[in-house]
Amino acid sequence: MDMSGADFVRGMALLGAGIAMGLGAIGPGVGEGYAAGKACEAVGRKPEEAGLLTRTMLVGQAVSESTGIYSLVVALLLMFVVK
Amino acid sequence: MEGLGEVATWEMDMAGWHLVFNATTIMMTLVIVALLLLFGWQAARKRAPVPNLFQVVGELFVVTFWGLTRDALDEKLAKKYFPLICSLFMFLVLSNWIGIIPWMEEPTKDLNTTLGLGIMGFFIAHFCGIQAKGLKAYVKQYFEPMFFMMPLNVIGEIAKVVSISFRLYGNIMGGSIIILVVTYLVYGLLLPPFLNAFFGLFVGTVQAFVFTMLTLVYISVQVR
Repeated sequence: MDMSGADFVRGMALLGAGIAMGLGAIGPGVGEGYAAGKACEAVGRKPEEAGLLTRTMLVGQAVSESTGIYSLVVALLLMFVVK
Repeated sequence: MEGLGEVATWEMDMAGWHLVFNATTIMMTLVIVALLLLFGWQAARKRAPVPNLFQVVGELFVVTFWGLTRDALDEKLAKKYFPLICSLFMFLVLSNWIGIIPWMEEPTKDLNTTLGLGIMGFFIAHFCGIQAKGLKAYVKQYFEPMFFMMPLNVIGEIAKVVSISFRLYGNIMGGSIIILVVTYLVYGLLLPPFLNAFFGLFVGTVQAFVFTMLTLVYISVQVR
């Protein structure tokens, strides 16, 4: 198979984008699920605080999601910027 | 799908510099500013004990964010920084929502907007810290546990800017790319409204709130 340097770089960039997104999605997935579970426990214990707990949970999840977003940005850079 | 990754630009040469402007971002930011001015005018035009629609929404914003700002800062500083926090949230939430209108694009889809807002928050927080604690105590906090920890503390402060601006940019950009790709895959049938509702309305609101709250928290961390 003949493959020039540019094609190789492009292929490796796409492969890297896939790996970055796939591995980077593990951490936020686990972390957000854990936060949601803890919030469910807290709502079960104190149902009258459900509004505050939901708001805090959403903010915490959005912050812990940021590592996944970084890997998304890296994947987008690899896909659209590396030629 | 063809337009993916392309950016409309205005280019000009001035005094030896080659300047490139992102046309879409500038135009959409101006549209947002115009809409916010219109909203403010409508909300404050006929103030009455029985409010009209715009006044209700405005009061909702003001009351909610006044409570949050007062909890994070003390009463005097809260009065000073509340307009910043409230208008930052209103700008961001309108920017993130405007993407659900066809032919409109979010200004926050561009890294320049979010990085600019992040740098603004960074400078305001540090200025506020210097003002509250004095220059000596402010410099001293970088040498806090031990003197050789200074580079780590400085990098930590700069990483805060990168982290909040990339979080907002990545969420909005990723959401719009997912909408575009899925819409292309299903030929625009059935799914796009729900995707727009999730990524535009829900994620947009949450991320605007997170950005605002983090800016507020950075200010309050510097003040303490």
